[in-house]
Amino acid sequence: MKIQSARDLESARREGLIKIQPGRPRIGVGTSSCGIAVGGMALYERMKKIIQDEYPDISLVKTGCIGFCKEEPIVSVSIPGKSLVLLHKVQPDDAERIISLAMEGRVPQELALCKIQDWDHITGSLVHGGGFDGIKDYDEIPFFANQKKIILRNCGLINPEDIMEYIGTGGYFPAFKAITSMEPEAVIEEVKRSGLRGRGGAGFPAGIKWEITKKASGEEKYIVCNADEGDPGAYMNRNEMESDPHMLLEGMLIGAYAMGVHEGLIYIRAEYPLAIERLITALDQARSLGLLGKNILNSGFDFDIQIATGAGAFVCGESTALAASIEGKTGRPRIRPPRLTEKGIFGRPTDLNNVETWCNVPVIIAKGASWFSSVGAKGNTGTKVFSLVGKVDNVGMVEVPLGTSLNTIIFDIGNGGAQGRRVKAVQTGGPSGGCIPVRLFDTPVDYESLNKVGTMMGSGGLVVMDEDTNMADIARYFISFASGESCGKCVPCREGLKHMLLILNRLIAGKGTVKDLNLLKELSETVQKTSLCGLGQTAPNPVLTTMQYFKEEYDELLEA
Amino acid sequence: MPVNGRKRMVTITINKNQYLAEEGEIFLLTAMRLKIDIPHLCYEKALDPYGSCRLCMVEVVTCGKTEMTPACTIKVHNGLEILTDTPEVIKHRNILFELYLAEAPKSEVIKEMAAKYGVTKTRFLKKIVHDDPLLGKCILCGLCVRVCSEIMGTCAINFINRGPFTVVNTPFYEHNPDCAGCAACARVCPTNAIVFEDTEKDRVMRSWSGTTVPMMTCSSCNKPFAPEKLMHEIQSRLDPQINEDIRNMCPECRRRYISRREMKIPIT
Repeated sequence: MKIQSARDLESARREGLIKIQPGRPRIGVGTSSCGIAVGGMALYERMKKIIQDEYPDISLVKTGCIGFCKEEPIVSVSIPGKSLVLLHKVQPDDAERIISLAMEGRVPQELALCKIQDWDHITGSLVHGGGFDGIKDYDEIPFFANQKKIILRNCGLINPEDIMEYIGTGGYFPAFKAITSMEPEAVIEEVKRSGLRGRGGAGFPAGIKWEITKKASGEEKYIVCNADEGDPGAYMNRNEMESDPHMLLEGMLIGAYAMGVHEGLIYIRAEYPLAIERLITALDQARSLGLLGKNILNSGFDFDIQIATGAGAFVCGESTALAASIEGKTGRPRIRPPRLTEKGIFGRPTDLNNVETWCNVPVIIAKGASWFSSVGAKGNTGTKVFSLVGKVDNVGMVEVPLGTSLNTIIFDIGNGGAQGRRVKAVQTGGPSGGCIPVRLFDTPVDYESLNKVGTMMGSGGLVVMDEDTNMADIARYFISFASGESCGKCVPCREGLKHMLLILNRLIAGKGTVKDLNLLKELSETVQKTSLCGLGQTAPNPVLTTMQYFKEEYDELLEA
Repeated sequence: MPVNGRKRMVTITINKNQYLAEEGEIFLLTAMRLKIDIPHLCYEKALDPYGSCRLCMVEVVTCGKTEMTPACTIKVHNGLEILTDTPEVIKHRNILFELYLAEAPKSEVIKEMAAKYGVTKTRFLKKIVHDDPLLGKCILCGLCVRVCSEIMGTCAINFINRGPFTVVNTPFYEHNPDCAGCAACARVCPTNAIVFEDTEKDRVMRSWSGTTVPMMTCSSCNKPFAPEKLMHEIQSRLDPQINEDIRNMCPECRRRYISRREMKIPIT
């Protein structure tokens, strides 16, 4: 069946809704990488067997991840007319009981994390129902209460391997609206007005990039999704693709229509096999419904997406190295200009956006630029997903409006240090970012404020450090990572980072002197100022910020 | 834009002085022409700017703000303002020289160049280079690799490994039959790191895992004069071909042969 009209899409939506609320108990098992890592798949298989043998009346699906990694495996139980209940830390041995209770319209109380009465999928909303008085409400769980889910609106609630469920929550309606009733220019205008900025870290306005690509000369152009997420501790994009791949495809489809581009690419690292698998499934399903390919939605517009896998080099997240890698060359950055929008992959104008940037597009079209820009702060509109990891109590995927303070994220949502330890600092932006001390935690998380304190947004990793963490050791870890990932093209990055690592090793071995400290600082500044690409330019940030905010820890390392 | 087929001249400011320069010219070349000193190692006229040595860093002034940029990547345009000798530029350049002195401790070129800018020693640990086929002189500027692939179309050598472990050599450090022995790599190397020698019969690229290319001997004087593979490569591109009787002669014999023939002196 191909979707060719509003009526087709509407009947697909109804079909999808029946899958989400089938009128009989439905059990969803969290099977993203995080869930699988703690036994989600074994749990799913166990349940599948029990249901096949004894309870054919229960609907069992794989879902993505709702973001509370600490509580995985998370299972959602939906009883018709009643609240959706999230169960946490479910073991395979619990399977039998969960299923038999679900048949009776009940859930195991002691496994319950919270219940959801209704849910705003942004592109649509769902009412589940009431009941389960003894179970806390979703909004009563601090980890969830302080979040605002726009990008993660479907994550953990729908089956990522079934396009109908995505359409059931109002998915592909924004694309339909854009393609059938909006001029391409109007779509770009809407994205520009929304104030959406690149979520890969640099924060360049997405609408303006689209406009430049559209105006670039040349008939054949590319749009590319950068899914080469490589920061240590960051896995937002992985989760977005594993839990809701169609949101990305729809964003790219709308972008392609706006820019008049017919070829799309997703550059994804090979270390994300599950995300690749789910994307391939999603692409096949979208093609079979006529949402990708020739004559999309009977509009005469053609667009298709191919997947290009990277071989695991961190530097390939840099735009020009990424382009080289797709072309089959060594992933080494080149000098800019020309930018990709002018001369990109195979010399054609190319628009490159991060996974999360694309994911924001459908909601902007669905709800309008004004609605989108009312979320977040001025100049920093919308929400941002962070992976809150390290020595924090509530490890997980967190989505908050831009401008939210670090305090809110780390203490209100994250519940402070793990095992009651005192939080000392947080590293934002991975190896490119810096360490912010706890006294600056009232800093709002937006592009400019983070730059002001010496770090950056990056793609959204937040690594929390507690009192037991040695900051010089943290700096050494990140420099060792950056040096190992340096492509070796320019001297400050290739040689400079190597010598920074040697000096840090010397300091940590207790053999450093004041001269070493000064040299480290001088060298850091040169690497920052003279490197060819973003990798080298930002790599010294962890050293410079830890030297600025935790000078005493370096002094303690000096030879007496 | 060219006006009447000629390049438009525009006004640029370098270190607060105004100059006329050709629009679109690479700023590093403009500065060289104007005798404004900017050190550089990886620029080669025959190739596109590559920006790997970072020594030609200058400050571009835009709206009162300065930004460090390599001079080889700046195109001249009207109103361009550049500072080439600010304390900031000098500070970073000196550190880069120190890094080079540690990376290529045996290179006289680097030593002389650094000394010219007042850097005579390095605070960084020098690379140990006792069995380096590039004699401890390579700075990985990439010119040899690029000239081999982009100009000669051979691609006999390339970068191996990455980051601080990057080296240049033939694949798997083996004798590479693709090498034509043209030695363009050695010709463009800014630090004279690449060594080769011509023996009785062969050209041996010592730096490239002993890659050996047989020499062509002159059909007249029987002396070896050029790598065989290179000669065949060049001859295959010529149209019309060189006359059969002089095709395999060394340049010297060929000259003698032609002039004698023209002057009707019997050829011996």
